[in-house]
Amino acid sequence: MPRVTLETLPDYARYLIGAAESAAAAFPVTRKSRLPRLDITTHLSPGTLADALCHGFVEARDDEAATVGCRIFVAHPGIADMPMPAQWGDAHYTEHGFATRLAEAGLRGHFYHDLDFWQVYDPQRRVGVQLMTTADAFPPWEPAAPLRPFLHWEYAARGMRLTHAGTLGLEGKGILLAGSGGAGKSGTVAAGLLNGLDSVGDDYVLVDLERGVSARPLFSTLKQDPQGFARLGLKQRLTGHGPLNWQGKYTFHIADIAPRQVPARLDIIALMVPHISGGKASSIAPASRRDAMLALAPSGIMQMPGERESGFRLFGDLTRLLPCYRLSLGSDPEEIAGTVSNFLARGIS
Amino acid sequence: MRQPDVYAVASKDIVFESFDGDAVVLDLSTGKYFGFSDSGSGVWQALSSGVSAAALAETGAIASAELATFIARLLEFGLLAPADTAPNPLPGDLISQLAAAREPLSVDVHDDLADLIVVDPIHEVDEPLGWPAVKQAN
Repeated sequence: MPRVTLETLPDYARYLIGAAESAAAAFPVTRKSRLPRLDITTHLSPGTLADALCHGFVEARDDEAATVGCRIFVAHPGIADMPMPAQWGDAHYTEHGFATRLAEAGLRGHFYHDLDFWQVYDPQRRVGVQLMTTADAFPPWEPAAPLRPFLHWEYAARGMRLTHAGTLGLEGKGILLAGSGGAGKSGTVAAGLLNGLDSVGDDYVLVDLERGVSARPLFSTLKQDPQGFARLGLKQRLTGHGPLNWQGKYTFHIADIAPRQVPARLDIIALMVPHISGGKASSIAPASRRDAMLALAPSGIMQMPGERESGFRLFGDLTRLLPCYRLSLGSDPEEIAGTVSNFLARGIS
Repeated sequence: MRQPDVYAVASKDIVFESFDGDAVVLDLSTGKYFGFSDSGSGVWQALSSGVSAAALAETGAIASAELATFIARLLEFGLLAPADTAPNPLPGDLISQLAAAREPLSVDVHDDLADLIVVDPIHEVDEPLGWPAVKQAN
């Protein structure tokens, strides 16, 4: 079993990309996905990941800006001469050291130890490889947000950013909901969708700062813990729901509960930090930009491999561009949606 | 000759942004965030730009003992390191900012999402040659 060290890491990444390109004709399935300003061609095997590529994205439409294409190979031994994934050979592994070493060589990458799961990307050539020991040896979070690191690297190279935030919108204007897990983002998004508001995502959305702050949809999956699922009435509404996911949450698709087609973009007018107040009524009050930045940036940077400084700078610029608020969440989903809707209506008028 | 009370940002992995005078610092290598109070933000801004601790103490806005404790924390966190450079003057706007500060000197660490250092069981490897292990020509 080969072992990779920081010294040999760039060579290994290039080796994997070359091996996958040489094996291109042997991949049994090709999926094409159209995302904002990006067409992705994915070569892989049939199965869960191939299915996820069919229904895991919100397909882009009417995109005004130039689109580029990238190729991703989701590979494993058994596809032509694809090798077994290497293991890590240095005594210590740090995400930052790993990413920095690859960035110095013009590459991006991520390694998940538990599964010897590699993801490497060449942003110049827009070619990436995900190498697994078998076709289904991927982390449990992959199907809900397929190819997430590749999207992160590609968009970051173009000054955009996958941002860990929920969104709600009205007539093309929207808010970003920032905070770590459990802050109330997903519940607020679902409450808004069920009561007539729009959203472009509850977990990861594509943000850019060109002509103000805008957010675009990427992933179609929403999630709710069993308590929220019941409180929102989704247990009765989505009777065909599947089992709980790896986080103990129900997953469903935005189209299942959205009042209309998912908008292609929302122009963001405010950054909000939700928190569950325990009170009955919701309220919105100004928050310091420091606190908003500390709610927005950490999870958005730490849950993504590499591009830490560019993310910190972009989130800093975003926070300075927007008014920031603290959203105290009441207990009634309809009342929460009404509070956000009234805020958005005031921002539009 | 090192100036005993001049400091610099400890490494290129320490990055920071300012929001309405409030500083947020990120250690890229560990993923730890640091949020400063208003007075702490002013002191961080001054020290990280080469203003001496003595110049800060001379403003009278901060007690010397409190300043020394705060600097010790910044050194302990690896945010600042002693510098060998001559001190820079304290800008007038920072003097005003410190005089107007309402919060005590403080810095909060946000490390719930910080990296874990993963130790690989390399002891199980007979030949930790890494990849690719290039064969030497005979």
